[in-house]
Amino acid sequence: MTGPRDLNAQIESLVNRLRRRQVVGSWCVSIETAMLLRQVVSATRWNQVETLIKVVKEDVGRRLVMAQPRELAVGNIVCRVLRLIREKIRTFSFYGGSGTGTNTQSSMINLLGDGSPMGAKRASPLIISELQEMINELENTYVNIIDQAMEHIHSNEIIMTVGKSRTVEMFLKTAAKKRKFSVLVAETFPTYLGHEMALSLSEAGIDTTVISDSAIFAVMSRVNKVIMGTHAVLANGGLISVSGAQMVATAAKHHSKPVVVCTGLYKLSPLYPYDEDSFNDLVAPDPVFSFNEGDLIDKVTLLNPYYDYVSPELVSLFITNTGGHPPSYLYRLINENYDPDDTDI
Amino acid sequence: MDPVKKTAKELKAERRALQERQRAEKAARAAGNAAVPAKKPASGSGASTTVGSTSATSTTATPLSETAGSTKTTDSKQRHSLTKEINSKQVDMFSHLEITKGANTGLAPKEIHPAILVLGLQFSEFKICGANARCIAALTAFQKVIQDYKTPEGTTLSRHLPTHLSPQITYLVNARPMSVGMGNAIRHLKWEISTIDIEMSDDEAKKLLCEKIDNFIRDSITVADRVIVEYGLQKIQDGDVILTYARSSVVQQLLLEAHTKGIKFKVIIIDSRPRLEGKKLLNCLVNAGINCTYAFLHAVGFAMRDVSKVFLGAHAFMSNGALYSRVGTAMVAMMAKEKNIPVIICCETYKFTDKVQLDSFVMNEQGNPNDIVNISTTLAPKPGLLSEWLNKPDLKLLNLLYDLTPSKYITTVITEVGMIPCTSVPVILREYKPMVQ
Repeated sequence: MTGPRDLNAQIESLVNRLRRRQVVGSWCVSIETAMLLRQVVSATRWNQVETLIKVVKEDVGRRLVMAQPRELAVGNIVCRVLRLIREKIRTFSFYGGSGTGTNTQSSMINLLGDGSPMGAKRASPLIISELQEMINELENTYVNIIDQAMEHIHSNEIIMTVGKSRTVEMFLKTAAKKRKFSVLVAETFPTYLGHEMALSLSEAGIDTTVISDSAIFAVMSRVNKVIMGTHAVLANGGLISVSGAQMVATAAKHHSKPVVVCTGLYKLSPLYPYDEDSFNDLVAPDPVFSFNEGDLIDKVTLLNPYYDYVSPELVSLFITNTGGHPPSYLYRLINENYDPDDTDI
Repeated sequence: MDPVKKTAKELKAERRALQERQRAEKAARAAGNAAVPAKKPASGSGASTTVGSTSATSTTATPLSETAGSTKTTDSKQRHSLTKEINSKQVDMFSHLEITKGANTGLAPKEIHPAILVLGLQFSEFKICGANARCIAALTAFQKVIQDYKTPEGTTLSRHLPTHLSPQITYLVNARPMSVGMGNAIRHLKWEISTIDIEMSDDEAKKLLCEKIDNFIRDSITVADRVIVEYGLQKIQDGDVILTYARSSVVQQLLLEAHTKGIKFKVIIIDSRPRLEGKKLLNCLVNAGINCTYAFLHAVGFAMRDVSKVFLGAHAFMSNGALYSRVGTAMVAMMAKEKNIPVIICCETYKFTDKVQLDSFVMNEQGNPNDIVNISTTLAPKPGLLSEWLNKPDLKLLNLLYDLTPSKYITTVITEVGMIPCTSVPVILREYKPMVQ
């Protein structure tokens, strides 16, 4: 690591906070990761672009990802940054760099890396300003998403949502400024995020009804569409979402109701779910069965999964900061945002 | 506030107080009156042991209704205003379903039998719940009513008894909507009453009716359950992982029986808020030594991958093959169907109804919405974020009690007449009509 000591300390701090789940939620995680990587890029002294890529990918990126493998957004941001570096170097070498070659990208990078430390010096501030732009974009992700609210919600609609997603919350509140509709919120045991969501929506003047998780199927026939957030979107268009989302999406499919997922593109992960449970976590079963309830707990297996996998065929539409996309289009977005070399950090 | 309005309010309060007083007097009188005929059979006939024992319970139950009458001014009034507020925050699409007010023993008409008053309270507070338990409890209470009944001069038992029973039934329905099974049982009882010979003496007729009720409980519930368990045992094999939802008395019997038969299987119990009925089942199965996994509905997708069979109980079966059961059942059945796991329903035929239903809206029941606020999964209540919901104009809570599982999710139904596809419900109703009646 070429960076100064305090940078090292910052990396260490983020790694620890990730590990201890002090930074949770895709958005917080990605902002923190992006800011840290901006510092890493600016502090790293590099002549060859491989050096920079190695630092970002292997020295810092890998440590962050390993610290909390379930926070897929960390890996996404690392990939985005790597892609950004590669792209900047490529255009830089093409327009202002020493090489005239347009053969393959590796040769271009090599060309740049080979001869001119001057080129690297000139590329570095460009990369940093791009990174800053990315952070700004991250901070304003939901602005682009909620701008589309009017296109998706008509008047007198009944919308179901599950869990608490800031994007969905803003989305619905924006729509409520002009349209009148009602929202059914599944309470989302065991976190009761649905309660929080309902409280927030009702305070914004939206007609909100909290239902128990068990009543999702019963009321689904009256729902017009399901709008929900997600923790991460996988390469096949599947979701890693709040536990309970799977039954909401399945019930919606069985009633032929569209499932709309509001998500920033930073949640789009290049990883593929070869096994449904590979991205799931079983967490403390205390909310399911309290430890204070006596001896019974010794003889029972308790399940409390933290996430749910929602397969892509259950999702009708993704509303992202770049517009609405069907799950079948996500592979294009992945190609645009990530470099195939970086998918396994 | 202007003085005119104030006096109007005061007048209203005065009028209300007067009304309440009159009601209380009436109730006290009613309770007094009820005690007199209740004692009569004990001194008069006392022929069979059952008559003696029931009259004893009825006389002990009488003071209970009196105390309820005196305390009602504070407690029930408070409850009344609360339910009024809750009713004003009804969810639109369920506004046709009244939120149960709960039994009000103080305001009960005088002809209501003490056993029914007690039962009404137990129903409304969910002390007795589950279709079978409620049906048995109601029939046993009706036995007491019949035993304490005396045909008035100038009429016959078969003509007058139904009119005596109907206010009792109405009272129970007001306490909590009647279950389909109970409806069938009551229809059966009325039919039995109508077939009683006019020449028969009161005592004989009452004895006969009580016997008939006992027979109904035995044939339609107790023995039927045993037969269902026998059939169900054929479907449980070594190594099975059985998933069940909430708690059904038949499924519980079946799992316990399978365990005593030495079949090695695991059980996954899926539960849901706010009723937490699965916890009772869990307790029972774990104490019997069955390997149990317990999870809530949010984990159903996760839990479903190991499951080999799903056993569910029923509240009622509609004639179109749809299952009407505890809310959440449809979701479990759907998730099982998604993974091609067989869904087996255990249901006695007395729960079959010739009604048809397509959604969970038309016929359903709403529980107390305040149950949603309490986020505790233990006995100790723990108010969550929504405890102030009554003050939030745009916030409503919905506590639905039942849902409808479409027939496409159900693999088979185990009844006491055999294992049938759920689409055969109308066939059973037709073939066994004389028995179910």
